Amino acid sequence: MLGIGLLAVGLVVVYAISPGLSIQKSVGENYFVGKQAIAIGLGVAAFLVTAHLPVTWWRRLEKPLLLTAGVSAIAVRLFGTEINGAYRWIQVGGLSFQAAELIKFALLVWLAGFLTDRIRLQQVNNYQLTFKPLLYALLAIAFVVGVVQSDLGSTGVMLAVMAAMILIAGLPLKRIMLIGGLVVFAVIILISSSSYRRSRLSVYLNPSQDCQDAGYQACQALITVGSGGLFGMGLGRGVQAYGYLPEAANDSIFAIFAEKFGFIGTTLLIGAFGALFARLKRIIERAPDMYSRLLATGILAWLSTQTIINVGAMIGLLPLKGITLPFISYGGTSIIFVCAAIGVVFQISRYTTYGSIASETTRTSYANDNTNRRRLRGAYHPNPGSRR
Amino acid sequence: MLDNNSSHQLSYSPVQRRITVWYAALIFVSLVFVVRLFYLQVIRHDYYAKAALSGQLKEYELEPERGLIMAHAGEDTLPIVLNEIKYTLFADPKFITEPEKVAGELQGIIGGDKSFYESQMRQDSRYAILAKKLNDDQKQKIEALKEKGIGLREQPYRTYPQGGLAAQVLGFVNDEGVGSYGIEEALHEELKGKPGQLKAITDAAGVPLVSNDDNIIKPAEKGKKVLMTLDVSIQKQLEDILKTGLENAKSTSGSALIMDPNTGAIKAMANFPSYNPAEFFKVEDAGLFTNAAVSAPLEVGSIMKVLTTAAALNQGVVNRNTSYYDPSRFSIDGYDITNIEEDGGAGTRSVADILQLSLNTGATWLLMQMGGGEINDKARQAWYDYMKNHYRLGQRTGIEQGYEADGLIPDPKEGFGLNLQYANTSFGQGMSATITQMAAALSSVVNGGIYYQPRLVESLIDSNGQTQEMSPKVLNDKVVTPEVSQTMVELMEYVVEKNHRTYGLSSLRPGYAIGGKTGTAEISKPEGGYYEDRFNGTFMGFVGGDKPQYVIAVRVNEPKIPGYAGSKAAGPIFSNLATMLIDNVGVTPKTGN
Repeated sequence: MLGIGLLAVGLVVVYAISPGLSIQKSVGENYFVGKQAIAIGLGVAAFLVTAHLPVTWWRRLEKPLLLTAGVSAIAVRLFGTEINGAYRWIQVGGLSFQAAELIKFALLVWLAGFLTDRIRLQQVNNYQLTFKPLLYALLAIAFVVGVVQSDLGSTGVMLAVMAAMILIAGLPLKRIMLIGGLVVFAVIILISSSSYRRSRLSVYLNPSQDCQDAGYQACQALITVGSGGLFGMGLGRGVQAYGYLPEAANDSIFAIFAEKFGFIGTTLLIGAFGALFARLKRIIERAPDMYSRLLATGILAWLSTQTIINVGAMIGLLPLKGITLPFISYGGTSIIFVCAAIGVVFQISRYTTYGSIASETTRTSYANDNTNRRRLRGAYHPNPGSRR
Repeated sequence: MLDNNSSHQLSYSPVQRRITVWYAALIFVSLVFVVRLFYLQVIRHDYYAKAALSGQLKEYELEPERGLIMAHAGEDTLPIVLNEIKYTLFADPKFITEPEKVAGELQGIIGGDKSFYESQMRQDSRYAILAKKLNDDQKQKIEALKEKGIGLREQPYRTYPQGGLAAQVLGFVNDEGVGSYGIEEALHEELKGKPGQLKAITDAAGVPLVSNDDNIIKPAEKGKKVLMTLDVSIQKQLEDILKTGLENAKSTSGSALIMDPNTGAIKAMANFPSYNPAEFFKVEDAGLFTNAAVSAPLEVGSIMKVLTTAAALNQGVVNRNTSYYDPSRFSIDGYDITNIEEDGGAGTRSVADILQLSLNTGATWLLMQMGGGEINDKARQAWYDYMKNHYRLGQRTGIEQGYEADGLIPDPKEGFGLNLQYANTSFGQGMSATITQMAAALSSVVNGGIYYQPRLVESLIDSNGQTQEMSPKVLNDKVVTPEVSQTMVELMEYVVEKNHRTYGLSSLRPGYAIGGKTGTAEISKPEGGYYEDRFNGTFMGFVGGDKPQYVIAVRVNEPKIPGYAGSKAAGPIFSNLATMLIDNVGVTPKTGN
């Protein structure tokens, strides 16, 4: 599966830059590779578990997951390690645990269940029963992740996950847009409330203004990507990982990959992600039930948003955010949860329907406005699923 | 298993449309990314590749290790100046978020003033020095803190295993790495070595990446190792004897040196007071840095009579058996030249008496003989020629020391009261010289007539182990004839034989030749004329067997004890040095003993 390939790419890149990283942290040369390999091992284990877990189980796990997420959100604030004014990690034994990853996962599991219930009860359009809880959830996320943990990147990913899920759940577009407007407003307030975010944003708007200080990482990322050229410098040749580019193994790993493998490599990598997302899209379309579909939607939204935010920052199109590149980035928590999510999707894909589904009548509200015109167009553009 | 509810199948519904739009957006973003990557990685590649290289490629000057300084220790040699790497702790306040905490941690490791560290770290600069001369242990502890914004820089320092030994001869290396005073200054070019060059792709901290082929490394060339002529043991004893002798004479300063008259090699040389070169920065009076033995000339007094006598003998205007009538008073240019009270009055005197009784009138009489019986142009020219060209006074010897002085001899033709001036120079007044100049001149008088340039460096050893011997340098091989030289040796022995008890030498040493001459020099007033109650004591002489093996020169500034400064203050120091050389160092006795 594609996921495995991407994991391998990540391990290879971490391996190649491990000496450079270990000098700065003064640990053994293979320290980072070792930890990454362990993380991948744990990830594969998580995948194997979730791939065999019936999808219905997630409904039962909803509450424990939410509870754990809430506890870890508080714990991270109380016992977590502070980096750049943000509390994101919590030390468990020798491993550091990134609470936001768990919160993301819990959120999408809860949301899938919640929305499925609303759909089943035909309450999707009901303001009191559907939108109000969503707004509360939004506020809770914004507060816990955005304010307490000061992790705007993860907040953004969660918002994207929510947006995608309520979109696919068939909520009215107007209401979604209303919420979207509120979110934009909140984001503006959040950005202006933190000086380091302000500086990051101004760096984003004008990257060359300050290559030494606030814009250092952005500049170095561009230099790293650009110096890769068409074919890349080769696996053992890049230099930027030797302390020039901050977070070379985590948030900035795409740039390191670009330096080593060049434009051809990055295009192939984006292609690989694209293929993975296409596969997820197909699973969403053919999901056996609404709950599975929403789970898969959340997962696709999660992975794709993180990929876009991460890569976009490295190539100077988006502001820098502390967000990992799924599968590739060094970091145990991210890898384990990404693998677990892929396992869930894998489980769902076992039950995808293969028959033609285009002509079936629907009882759910979202399908009520189906018209003949649309069906006709459907005939010209057959559902991808029908080709199988 | 799951109820495959067809209602959840997608028809061509708004939801399907939403999925399609969403996915199309994803594809669109991916395409934008690919285009952007093409722009960055292919179109702008050269620009970024250059930008990367300009950050990564660093050019360094590799600091060479300064040459060591060695000295003799009997048969062996040992280092007397070494290098030690110490560390300068600095802060980049920009990166320090908690100055108070960091300052506390640093204080825990290196002690010192916490509030000073803190204020340094709050400075509005990018480089603030917190502490200097930290050792390796402290360095490692500070590194283990892993605090951002503090760094350590290697800084080599000179260390002195022999403490303050020969400090003024050695000099020191200042904070900019430049040799100051002494041998460090004189041989700075040889000692400092050649800086190397390093052009390398480095990591962000500036550590070169070994894997890169583009690295250019030209290693630094170590400075040359200097082997001095000094002998640690003789030097130590000389410093002790000088210090004690000065105390006994109630003098606050003075100098002494021991030289090999047959090579010009200085075996020991010291002044008092001195300083500790490891703490040169604590010295407030820069005068302490100078090596007075080469940098401070003085009116040498009666020791000059040795040179006057040798010049007269060598010109053939007198011989060792010449007698003359000494009136004990000469009037020249309206001034009287007299002797000390113990001269015995007017009478017939021999050449040996001139030295033994230290007769100023005798020295003046010798000068008169150079002019055919009176002090005239011929006498002045002849004596000037000896002072200038034979004894090489009034000019630097070229010894390997910073701040060497020229000394002064009056011009024989130009000036006021030349005859009086020249009469004065015949017994060491109205002229000046360093004791190094005097010792070198005396050496040439007693060694057979060869003037060796006085020197402190025996050899230079480069980084490849190639030794460059600094052979003795003859500046004049006809100072006096060997016969005159032999006569002078005997005359000087005679002086010591007659007066040794006055010099604090209770008994002569059978089998050894000890010769010398005292000097009690009047000190000139800055406004002209001389102080009546202030004198410098000088002494120069030799120790040997069949021939002189060591020449000794001593200077005691303004002793405060009764008696003549030359014999009572400088004399005992000479005596003790001579005894020390015979007893502890080894002097080859006369054959037949």
